Amino acid sequence: MKHSMMPERREGPVDPMPKSPRPLEEGGGPRRPESGSPDKDNLMKRMRKVDPKQAERYRQRTGE
Amino acid sequence: MLHRIFGLETEYGLLIHEDRPDHSPTWFAHKIRDHLFRVQRRGVLDLHHRGHDEPPGNGGFLTNAGRIYLDMGHLEYASPECRSLMDVVASDRAGDRLLQQALEELGFSEQVSLIKNNIDHETDATFGSHENYLVSRRFPFSRRGLAPLVTFLVTRQIFTGSGRVGSAAPQDAWIQTDRLILPPSPLGRHHVSELPFQISQRADYIVNDFFEWVQHNRAIVNTRDEPLADPNQYRRIHLLLGDSNMAEYATALKLGTTGLVLQLIEEGQAPQGLEIDEPVEALQEISQDQERRWLIRLQSQKAMSAVEIQERFLDCAVQHCKGQDEETDWVLAHWAAVLHDLRGDYQKLVGRVDWASKLWLLECFRDAEHVDWTDPTMKSLDLEYHNLNHAKGLYHGLLEEGRVPRVTTDRLIQLAMETAPKNTRAYGRSELVRHLLHERSASAVDQPPTPDGLFPPYVINWSIFQVRGHAPFPMPDPFKTYLDDVRTHLDSVIV
Repeated sequence: MKHSMMPERREGPVDPMPKSPRPLEEGGGPRRPESGSPDKDNLMKRMRKVDPKQAERYRQRTGE
Repeated sequence: MLHRIFGLETEYGLLIHEDRPDHSPTWFAHKIRDHLFRVQRRGVLDLHHRGHDEPPGNGGFLTNAGRIYLDMGHLEYASPECRSLMDVVASDRAGDRLLQQALEELGFSEQVSLIKNNIDHETDATFGSHENYLVSRRFPFSRRGLAPLVTFLVTRQIFTGSGRVGSAAPQDAWIQTDRLILPPSPLGRHHVSELPFQISQRADYIVNDFFEWVQHNRAIVNTRDEPLADPNQYRRIHLLLGDSNMAEYATALKLGTTGLVLQLIEEGQAPQGLEIDEPVEALQEISQDQERRWLIRLQSQKAMSAVEIQERFLDCAVQHCKGQDEETDWVLAHWAAVLHDLRGDYQKLVGRVDWASKLWLLECFRDAEHVDWTDPTMKSLDLEYHNLNHAKGLYHGLLEEGRVPRVTTDRLIQLAMETAPKNTRAYGRSELVRHLLHERSASAVDQPPTPDGLFPPYVINWSIFQVRGHAPFPMPDPFKTYLDDVRTHLDSVIV
């Protein structure tokens, strides 16, 4: 049988898990963005595009 | 991490954007599954009945050795067995991307969204994120032995919760008749009060401390004894009280801290005297505490906060586990950092803790748009946080803005979509799936079982497989890859 070539996959944290993500180094996560900052603009843009009624249409079956 | 196998099972919701009676969530789920297996050939469909609700073709194993299948109408992905947090996070996100890519290839992006959450606000349905931890059979699986685990699980939601707008109806209002679980009637339904926001999605649905069922009477610790491995050596701790996490950091911390607490219990080093007076009530009270003081009463009648209790567990873990491996030290350092930050402004946790990220986004929106919590938009934004579409989802918006620390990489996730971890039995199963895909044509790979009563061409389960005409191949030890043995076995097989 010809074995298919399995791509290499690192098993563990060869590249160690980040020792200290940036928000931690900076003493925590973001402050509430100031008005007009690009991040707030982009996130607000995403939020304003959301259909306000979509939660009413989201009807799922109960699972496990 | 030290001698541990991790796994995650995720049930996804499907948000339909167009009102078409013929396009239900289940209709889309079938389309996505069929595309994955029949067009993309990501794995091989089951050809046998796995159970009364899993007929042939319902799902199958993937080349990464995980599974995709339909469960109660939901698309569900089960990760392969993983020995490291890095692998399990990458493998979990691989499931998200497999499904999202299939949806996009099908051209359904504008019609439907994959939502990685655990509730719907409209009917109070819930669906799970299940965690699996392999422990030794010697693990003290008794009420007394599990008491520290219950205390830990009730309180860990302060950094593992994904948050939600509102609350579910009391679960004791649901009615069971035979196999049907019926919601409370609209007339009889009563929410004591509609909460603005709570930190956990699943807390409202957990009604027992210990129980074996998974679809109702859900418990803090599920007691089903199904190790999917040698039952003389192993037990699988199966937890269904947790939320699906969008933040990689939260997933890693949830699994890492829980793994360490299981180690403390196995080694008799868990903190003592922290039994909670009413753990189920405490679970919900912590989740719903609008002041986030998270105070609970212990059996000793002492009151402690969830942060203080978590700090007791952390202290024990530092004392007994520090230095045992690199991932353990990562978990200990970030467990401490998160608990420290939970004592202050929740905004410090944005990006790392899902409920904090979601609350911050919702508060920003409320400020900007001058809406209150009862506005239906708030529930819709809650859902959108969990949308797997990178161009739309709010979590992905935070990620795009550089607000979210990563614990894996896109390259590792891409690899995990196709390949299994190389240090568990998933590796051997992956070889089997590749072999079957290679040997069988696209049209034959999902043939229905033969009507002549012959054994189907293959049967694959987590701990055993069989190819027609050959002896079963058991894989009882999840720590072994079985790779060479699987290759030898397959070399002699003619499918």
